[in-house]
Amino acid sequence: MSMNAQLVIEGVGKVYRVDEQTLAAVREVSLTVKRGEMVAVIGHSGSGKTTLLSMIGGIARPDSGRVLFNGRDIHTMNSDQLADYRCDKVGFMFQFASLLPMLTARENLLLPAAFGRSRGKPDGRAEQKAAELLALVGLGDRLAAYPAQLSGGQQRRVAIARAFMNDPELILADEPTGDLDEETEQDILRIFREYNRQGTTFVVVTHNRQLAASQDNPRVVRMKQGLLQEEIGPA
Amino acid sequence: MAAWSPGQYFLLSENIRDKLVGMSKEFTVSTLALRNVSRKPLRTAILMVAIGLLVFMLIFALSFVRRVNSGIDLTSRRLGADLLILPQGTRGLAEEVLLESNAKSFYMDKALIERVRAIEGVAELSPQTYLVSIQGVCCDVPEALIVAFDQESDFIVKPWLAKAINRPLEPDEAIVGYESFLNIDIGLMEIDTNLLGNRFHIVGTLEKTGTGLDHAIFIRAEDKDKILARGDLPITADQISAIFAKVDKGYDPSEVAKVIESTIMEVDAVARKDIAKGLIRALGDISRIFSLAVALASLLALFLAWAVFSAVVNERAREVGIMRAIGARESLVMRIFLQEVLLIGLLGSLAGMIGGTIFSFLLADMFNIMQEAAVDLGGLERLVIAVLGLLTGTGICVAGALAPVNRVKKLEPLAVIKGE
Repeated sequence: MSMNAQLVIEGVGKVYRVDEQTLAAVREVSLTVKRGEMVAVIGHSGSGKTTLLSMIGGIARPDSGRVLFNGRDIHTMNSDQLADYRCDKVGFMFQFASLLPMLTARENLLLPAAFGRSRGKPDGRAEQKAAELLALVGLGDRLAAYPAQLSGGQQRRVAIARAFMNDPELILADEPTGDLDEETEQDILRIFREYNRQGTTFVVVTHNRQLAASQDNPRVVRMKQGLLQEEIGPA
Repeated sequence: MAAWSPGQYFLLSENIRDKLVGMSKEFTVSTLALRNVSRKPLRTAILMVAIGLLVFMLIFALSFVRRVNSGIDLTSRRLGADLLILPQGTRGLAEEVLLESNAKSFYMDKALIERVRAIEGVAELSPQTYLVSIQGVCCDVPEALIVAFDQESDFIVKPWLAKAINRPLEPDEAIVGYESFLNIDIGLMEIDTNLLGNRFHIVGTLEKTGTGLDHAIFIRAEDKDKILARGDLPITADQISAIFAKVDKGYDPSEVAKVIESTIMEVDAVARKDIAKGLIRALGDISRIFSLAVALASLLALFLAWAVFSAVVNERAREVGIMRAIGARESLVMRIFLQEVLLIGLLGSLAGMIGGTIFSFLLADMFNIMQEAAVDLGGLERLVIAVLGLLTGTGICVAGALAPVNRVKKLEPLAVIKGE
């Protein structure tokens, strides 16, 4: 493993069983991601991108292989350690609306900090940071709005802001700009770039080659029928 | 959107800062639990009402059974005798006098005292005669039980008399029980009153004994003979109502009672622990009915809590998956749901506890058995019953919710999020 390798995926596979049938969503995928790298995972729907991202994020267990983060296999962690990994190390942006409906935009952002605080981790300036992040995604005036009072695009922006709340080392983004208009999409990508420049590692799933191309030095990998192929050169 | 670089946060606009000040209340995971309680108000209310009704029923049943049980127990303990010997077939009437404060009269031959005394194991005897004053007779007190007791042999009234006036009763003196209608005001004490046509001087009030005798008026056996000499009552001086007996050390009162009954056909002998046996048996049946009703209500509440929280976790499975995905530990998910279920259980139980306690007071008037119970429950006992009800109701609510919550918190976040 390279000294710089933050994320090492070794022969990871995942099989879904539906009734009597089995579907290999991810097959023997290996990938090494350096600290501060921006990796775009492209591919068609159903190619296994989301499943791969979920296994990296510790929200799905692989049937085979290992996912090492900073040298430690995350799937050998117990439930609490894995939860702490998701809370402290990873910022997850889901493909779908993922806000809790009973909480305001501000409270949705404060949730990861509250999870950390519940086990004694200081949350720093969580209140202030939540407001700043919402302002960053253009929702500084919607702090007290509930998800139902926000458009799909606004909800997506709140979820993006939430992923940065606990200063994660790794951002896992699954089609992060799917619902956004072109201008907002560019703003979000700019934010990604800024964080990336400061050392945050990104693995971004997209079927949008333009999104992959918009980053500074993107490394593009393609998923096809559960297999991973490295693309040569920038997208 | 403004330009920004990590590590250098925006200077907050006045607008945002103002809003932050307005929302200074700290956000914790408990905030989420509290919000969740109000998500489906009708469903939450139904569960609360079910828990409340269960606690209500439990508290009322416990209060009822405890009150009647305590009354019987206290009465038998405070009688101060090991055995009660009565005219044959009058056991029920005697229990009415001793437990239910009803004025009843029943008689047997005074000569039976010596026959009882001759039985092995009998140590001390003291006879009492019960007279019932006649309501409506000119210048007499309203209907009441008058107990004539033999001061020489007495060991039933004596301890209470000593506390009240610290001397025996003199001729034409009477002392009244704590609950007697004559003890309506201290101003009425030390007065003269007519009892069955004879003038008596009331010298005081006995302390509360917790028995039916609290409603009686006590006079000397010799004064009873003067009353009987007028010839108004269908009883002669050779008759008595009951004999209280103590047994010698080492003798079993129940065994002595059996010997008395088999030797002297004219009497019934009841050991202290067997007083109100019929009532205790009936109470046992009532307790069993209550227990069955409470058990069924508990099962129903448990099932309802399980069903409600199964629906709740199914509806919120995706939210649980998201919370887990962004860093909530299983224990934290459990805590959030537990806070919600505890709040519902506590609020429902609290309502049931208050309702059940108030109702146990109010409903007492609707049940003869409770009206006639010699004692009411003490504050501490009521508190213990109320707390027991509160804990049971809350516990059942939590127990019902545990299985569904436990199931969802353990699921793989991605599977829950995708609804698999």
